[in-house]
Amino acid sequence: MAENYEKAIKTKYIGKPLTLHDEKPAWVVDSPRAMSHIHTYGLLTPFFQGLTQGKLMATKCVNPKCPHPSVWLPPRADCPDCYERMKWVKVPSQGTIYTFTLVDYAGIGVEMKTPYWQIDVAIKGVDTIFKGYLEYGKPEIGMKVKAKFRTENPTHTILDVCWVPA
Amino acid sequence: MITFGKGNLRIPKWSKRVFMVAGGCTPFRKYYPEYKLEELVMMAYKMMLEDNNLKLSPLEIKDSIQFAVYGEFADHFQDQLLCESKIHDYLGLDPLYNVGIKTGGATGGSAVLMGAQAIASGYANCCLVAGWERMDEVDTRTGNFYISTAACKDFETRMGRIYSSYYAPMANRFAWAYDLNDQVRAKIAIKNRHYATMNPNAQQPGDHTEEEVLSSRMSAYPLRFLECCAMTAGSASVLLCDEEMAYKLSDHPVEVFIAGGSHTLRVADRRPMDIPLLPNEKPGMYDAFLKKNPRWPGFESFLAARFAAYLTYRMAGIKEPVEELDLVELHDAFTISDVQTYGDIGLRPYGQEIDYIESGDAYYGGKCPANLSGGLLGTMHAVGATGIWQAAECLWQLQGRYDYFHGDPKWWKRAGKKKPKNWTSLQVKDPKQALWVSHAGVGSHVTVGILRKAW
Repeated sequence: MAENYEKAIKTKYIGKPLTLHDEKPAWVVDSPRAMSHIHTYGLLTPFFQGLTQGKLMATKCVNPKCPHPSVWLPPRADCPDCYERMKWVKVPSQGTIYTFTLVDYAGIGVEMKTPYWQIDVAIKGVDTIFKGYLEYGKPEIGMKVKAKFRTENPTHTILDVCWVPA
Repeated sequence: MITFGKGNLRIPKWSKRVFMVAGGCTPFRKYYPEYKLEELVMMAYKMMLEDNNLKLSPLEIKDSIQFAVYGEFADHFQDQLLCESKIHDYLGLDPLYNVGIKTGGATGGSAVLMGAQAIASGYANCCLVAGWERMDEVDTRTGNFYISTAACKDFETRMGRIYSSYYAPMANRFAWAYDLNDQVRAKIAIKNRHYATMNPNAQQPGDHTEEEVLSSRMSAYPLRFLECCAMTAGSASVLLCDEEMAYKLSDHPVEVFIAGGSHTLRVADRRPMDIPLLPNEKPGMYDAFLKKNPRWPGFESFLAARFAAYLTYRMAGIKEPVEELDLVELHDAFTISDVQTYGDIGLRPYGQEIDYIESGDAYYGGKCPANLSGGLLGTMHAVGATGIWQAAECLWQLQGRYDYFHGDPKWWKRAGKKKPKNWTSLQVKDPKQALWVSHAGVGSHVTVGILRKAW
């Protein structure tokens, strides 16, 4: 059998012709794109797995020499202050609303029906603020909320946790 | 970091002084089917070469350039990797080296900073800084989603898929902490969109009432459509030189000072810290403020903007910003981001931001008018071009050429518009210094630049 590079080849167009979106004032073509990204959660896998098990897992710097040991949620693997690998800790599933917004007009692909309340939650013992959404109710700053987890049919995304009034 | 080492706070010092001599831009539009991207960049570049009273011909200037810095926000929008290479070729500048800069909404400011570094280091004595974005290849909601991937893809993007939903929580917290009402935010939208009516290149000019702003469609509560900038297609460029080249090219060069600051991509991760003080601020002045607002910078303020101002004011020897700056161009992508920045760059102390608007200082005729160009709300946010265009607008003000670039009928004709009958000049009287802020994300990257009249 001859190798391909040894053959004379007749080339066939197998693409999908583009449509003209506009003809004036210049030709404008419609060029569709569809793709999938294979995205890893890497060392944060315990966090996303934790959501499906009904747990809020944060990372904590336990290095006694760290200048600003903190508890991080969203978690991160390595402490940015001392560069040591951090430890996983379970944090409370309750918090208070630090601020909020109503998402009324959202970008394409939005997975919650608009409008919905997006909230930022302060959790005791956590040094950061954690963004989420309120499943029902009307938020105000200082309002107590508790986490609700999607342990069945998980989305495998951050949307596996949301908040409800406590 | 939430505390600084001594080395972290070193004030930047150019090895050689840096100057800006010329600027150019396209008209800005939502949809630009007439021109391809490289054609838009050429239009801004040629305007820079031909219309800035330069003392060498366009081709002689082309022969003088050694380096180019290009600003582009997102490959998603252009749908072309290495866009810089194509633009550079089409501007006829090969084999001079060029680099592409990407720092979100601050891309333009960062591109000017990188160009200034090329001049200050001696790598070049004549450097092109050009930027662009064409956000019209995708529909608006897809554009919103693309931009929302400049929030954290794991923890934030899915919460709204639109950037207004990351600014709106800051607006609500700011309102709660500092008593900001809807009317003040509306004033900013009204002011900047009105100034845009004098700008032939403006995409969203308009004379709006408070009622129109506050009854326009809600994007993310409390931010409404008229409080948000739009998707833009367009380009802008400026020319940077060392001292000798600047005076060879222009009788009216301006000196450039610029520095940047950064902060976490997610606002959520901003841990409380002490406020780095500006030259006009006294130790202890924020003690009571911090007792009441213990999470500074929190959701209310931008450490990145504060840090950039901290550096640039000292670099340029600015002591009292409002007294010494004759105008500012701020990053009003949203009304709230505009307000938040007043404290960061010392137009007012933290907690008193609203007074900058209420006092009238921010208006034409006021002490330190803001966004006479029309800003991002009124004129453009072709992201990669924005910080470059803002610098060009400051340059033209300092050169006393506001009227030429905004009032000459040829620019209105170029934009396919008629100069309005009620057009009035927004030229600031004999300005000496101007500042512009280029800002990314929810404050992830911010540059603060100062231009100073140098003739």
